[in-house]
Amino acid sequence: MRINFFLNDKEVQVETDPLRRLLDVLREDFELTGVKEGCGEGECGACTVVLDGKIVNSCLIPVGTVEGSQVTTIEGYRTTERYRVLQDAFAEAGAVQCGFCTPGFVMAADAMLRKTPMPNEDEIKEAISGNLCRCTGYNAIVEGIKIASRKGRGLW
Amino acid sequence: MVRAFRPESVNHALEIMSENQVIPLAGGTDLMVQRRAWSGLPPRFELPVLFIDHLEELQLLRKEEEQLRICAGCTFTSLLEHEAVPWEFKIVIAQIACPQIRNRGTIGGNICNASPAGDTLPLLYAFDAELALVRKNDSRKLPIEEFLTGPGQTVLEKDEILKEIVIPVYSFNTFFYRKVGARRANSCSKLSFTGCARVDGNKITDIRMSFGAVAPTIVRSREIEARLRGKTGKELNKLIPEIIDLYAELIKPIEDQRCTIRYRKTISLKLLHHFLGDVIMAKMT
Amino acid sequence: MKGKIGDSMKRVDAPEKTGGYASYIADMSFEGMLHAKTLRSTKPRARIKSIRVPDIPKGYFIVDKNDVPGLNRVKLIVDDQPFLADEEVNYIGEPILLVVGPEKVKIERILSEIRVDYEELVPVFTMEEAEQQGSEYCFTEYEIVKGNPIPAFERASDVFEDEYRTGYQEHIYLEPQGVIGEYGNGRVTVWGSMQCPYYVKNALIQGMGWEEDRIRVVQTTTGGAFGGKEDYPSIMAGHVAFAAVKTGKPVKLIFNRDEDILCTTKRHPSVIRIKTALDEHRQIIAMEIDIKLDGGAYEGLSSVVLQRAMFTSTGVYHIPNVRVKGKVLKTNTVPTGAFRGFGGPQSCFAIEMHMWSLAVHLSEDPLDFKLHYLIRKGDRTVTDGVMRHDVKLPDMIDLATGMSDFRTKYAAFNKGNDRVFKGIGMSLFNHGCAFTGSGEKDKIKAKVKLKKRADGSVEILVANVDMGQGPMTTLRKIIAQALDIPVEKVIYENPDTDRVPDSGPTVASRTVLIVGGLLEKAARQLRAEWDKAPEFEVLKQYEQPPYIEWDQETFKGDAYPVYSWGTNVVEVEVNPITYEIKVIEIWGVYDVGTPIDERIIQGQVEGGITQGLGYATIEVMNSKDGVLQQGSVTDYVIPTSMDSPKIHHCLIKSYFEYGPFGAKCAGELPFTGIAPALAAAVQNALKIPMRSIPVTPEYLLEAVEGAH
Repeated sequence: MRINFFLNDKEVQVETDPLRRLLDVLREDFELTGVKEGCGEGECGACTVVLDGKIVNSCLIPVGTVEGSQVTTIEGYRTTERYRVLQDAFAEAGAVQCGFCTPGFVMAADAMLRKTPMPNEDEIKEAISGNLCRCTGYNAIVEGIKIASRKGRGLW
Repeated sequence: MVRAFRPESVNHALEIMSENQVIPLAGGTDLMVQRRAWSGLPPRFELPVLFIDHLEELQLLRKEEEQLRICAGCTFTSLLEHEAVPWEFKIVIAQIACPQIRNRGTIGGNICNASPAGDTLPLLYAFDAELALVRKNDSRKLPIEEFLTGPGQTVLEKDEILKEIVIPVYSFNTFFYRKVGARRANSCSKLSFTGCARVDGNKITDIRMSFGAVAPTIVRSREIEARLRGKTGKELNKLIPEIIDLYAELIKPIEDQRCTIRYRKTISLKLLHHFLGDVIMAKMT
Repeated sequence: MKGKIGDSMKRVDAPEKTGGYASYIADMSFEGMLHAKTLRSTKPRARIKSIRVPDIPKGYFIVDKNDVPGLNRVKLIVDDQPFLADEEVNYIGEPILLVVGPEKVKIERILSEIRVDYEELVPVFTMEEAEQQGSEYCFTEYEIVKGNPIPAFERASDVFEDEYRTGYQEHIYLEPQGVIGEYGNGRVTVWGSMQCPYYVKNALIQGMGWEEDRIRVVQTTTGGAFGGKEDYPSIMAGHVAFAAVKTGKPVKLIFNRDEDILCTTKRHPSVIRIKTALDEHRQIIAMEIDIKLDGGAYEGLSSVVLQRAMFTSTGVYHIPNVRVKGKVLKTNTVPTGAFRGFGGPQSCFAIEMHMWSLAVHLSEDPLDFKLHYLIRKGDRTVTDGVMRHDVKLPDMIDLATGMSDFRTKYAAFNKGNDRVFKGIGMSLFNHGCAFTGSGEKDKIKAKVKLKKRADGSVEILVANVDMGQGPMTTLRKIIAQALDIPVEKVIYENPDTDRVPDSGPTVASRTVLIVGGLLEKAARQLRAEWDKAPEFEVLKQYEQPPYIEWDQETFKGDAYPVYSWGTNVVEVEVNPITYEIKVIEIWGVYDVGTPIDERIIQGQVEGGITQGLGYATIEVMNSKDGVLQQGSVTDYVIPTSMDSPKIHHCLIKSYFEYGPFGAKCAGELPFTGIAPALAAAVQNALKIPMRSIPVTPEYLLEAVEGAH
């Protein structure tokens, strides 16, 4: 099937099996390896991308359904000012250890901040409840998002 | 072989279904997991897939005088964000999975997946939900308890899709929902209890109770509920042990990698006791 | 470098990881690369009678035991495990062969058509069954005796005995295991996610039967490990090496998550019995401790896990007479291996719950009871070593009880009521730093190199990896501080065995203490000789601190060069209807010597605590008939952000003269104390002894309401 969609703000087209996972199309066809596979069953959030403004697990999206949609991965997001604020905040808070889960958390954090620019701790925890981290115990990530929301006032 | 169809409308979808055997796919949060293959390979679908997640006709929500009509393709997130969705529904939906799943998973998918642990099912049973099914040139409507026949089993025909969930008007002033999972987020239900009631003064005007994940399908008994209707606080108190025993007969959980039979059954009945003995009693004047 | 060493700095590797720039093994692709998938045993114990392979298309290969050029045994402590099954399989999931080729679809089809003809043998599934089998199902057995336990038990006025159980735990590092093997110019190179490049290299040397200069191992950025990538990567490395040589092409082997959960190593389940003798003054005069660990189908690292469990079996207490017996039993289940704590957490759970129960048995306050028996500087350990350094636990306990208001809450919750089950519990624990016994001196003999470059930068050449715990930053800081140069001038790449000496594995919380310690020495030498040449190298080899006396045969003496210490307080609320445990708050006070970076220590503390919470409560893994029942991340659940409570921690000031800038060890310690503290809190809430983890709601239902 031919599928046209917007990937990181660029119009793209793939001719492929529409049931291939978006995760595989992104990693293999577009070499966007910032999107990770941690479990393949929608539990860990390492494959999180933004689809039409909302975070989803790309391991559960058949590429045929993204026809006409906007897909944003970490590679598209990391050129923005909002990303820079999050990156600095994460480093300041100690939110990055092995780093495998981090791009997924960044995408989830941005999605939440776009909706709730000044979140409280419960709102943050809820927003990242679909992202697993085995290294940090989450507190540093929550702290990082708090810092980003403070320092990035006006950006979200 | 055609791998997937992307219909332009519901009618187009039904047309395709009348001529082809397909697997309808909405959010995919159940099907893409169930059929997952080795990383890099597409999931295993033995029939062509019919994408329906993009059909706006399936994402409508209409509040009418006597009923609320929720189209099957509404995602959990859209239901959480819609003002016409009852707050009781939002409490239940907010506890489903996590944001990424809620952004894709649909109420229709949750129903048609027919898992004994389906999160929306006990609520829909308690609210007397009716399901509108459509096929080319035909439609039918039936109560949800007639739609679900066993674990993973529904009466949906091969050329039918679930179009709408119709919730008749209700007036509860008491609501208690408790899902017990393995952890605080993103967890399958080990068991759940849903209790809705209308208590007027010292009497139970209406009461509905349903149990999830403790039997092949959702446990709800109109007969037992009828015994409680019209009862006063004092009468309720006397009846509680008998009511618990009656439900104990209906609750037939399995033991699996998530939970034990004894836990599922015991806690279900404890929640029932809490609902009747604490929540309802507290509402009585 | 300005300021004191512990001052937190932003991690060197944070930006590349945050932006998705860092390359993990699954992100890598080589020209002409083939994929591989493993065919695994479906029987727990059987002889392989024959394997029927279908016709396979050109470009596809089967790699089996016949393709092992060298010795088909994975080099570890005991070489009992084959790379690919020989004649027997001993657990469901044991690798038998690989199918290798360019297209995954075809590989799967070939796999599905392979028929293995098994002659089933009688499997042994539990430790109890294994004990009845005799020595064939016992990998290792040890006994240590301190003082004179037998006469002490004879004159005892009272004997208190109990049994404690801990379950499996799976690492769930977010990055599944993976390797790529390549063959060219007569050499094999393996890239992969791993903790120990030289373990992998040595395993390949034995598996290929080649000279060491024909083998190269390169670690790729590793997405978490926690011990799960200590020995397992050697097996996978062998697989892709054999495949690369056979096919002449690079071969990539990445595990699916389910495969990773079901087939790679796990934490050893344990059953520990402790028997305590009390004299007529109700003083502890002796203990008898019996430790049983489930080693699974192959021995692997089990003997060392058992050693650590035994050497820390009396926890932080000074017990005058002790007999410790330990056994690792073989069962036809997935082999167990290293996991943060490495036998320590199992023992800590047992001894901490035992001391608590003893106190209750004697109607004493548990904390005061424990304080009475705390080991002190100068006391003898259970291996008759000397506790040579200050034990700061009394001060740490004061801090922890103050921070958490422990005593008030404990008394209040003890009175309790039936409507609300609130509880608070405390644990005391330690971790023996670095390798057990004489491992550093006799086996590892770590070597490090520092290279000064003409541009004034300095490169760290060690075999230790960053798997999230931060040496990319902490080791750089050590060099920067010792040389008084900016951290940016220190280079440290993922280790490549062609370039780095064997500084030993990234395990046992030894990276900062031992390797960092050697690097500090090397840096000081480099500094002294700085102007000798524009470019030169300094090599340093491990020298055991002179005070250590250890006999590896009798297990007598100083089992560890030094200890790190901790105390945890956990406050919980148990739901009276559902028995779900809500963790309200956690406090931790730690003595890890000088922190090389406070924020990195905080990361280890919070991460270790959260992992410990999972171990104590929700990480349920059962084996039934040789199959792990929780084989996906849907069923094997780890804590999410919503499960993580408020954590308060602080470090107590301490300095270890043989550690870099006074540092000790910190990676494993924060994990160890959580399970006993949580179990003690639940005990306080429910007034029922907790003898088993994980403490699940199902377990609590049985414990409270009993059998009907």
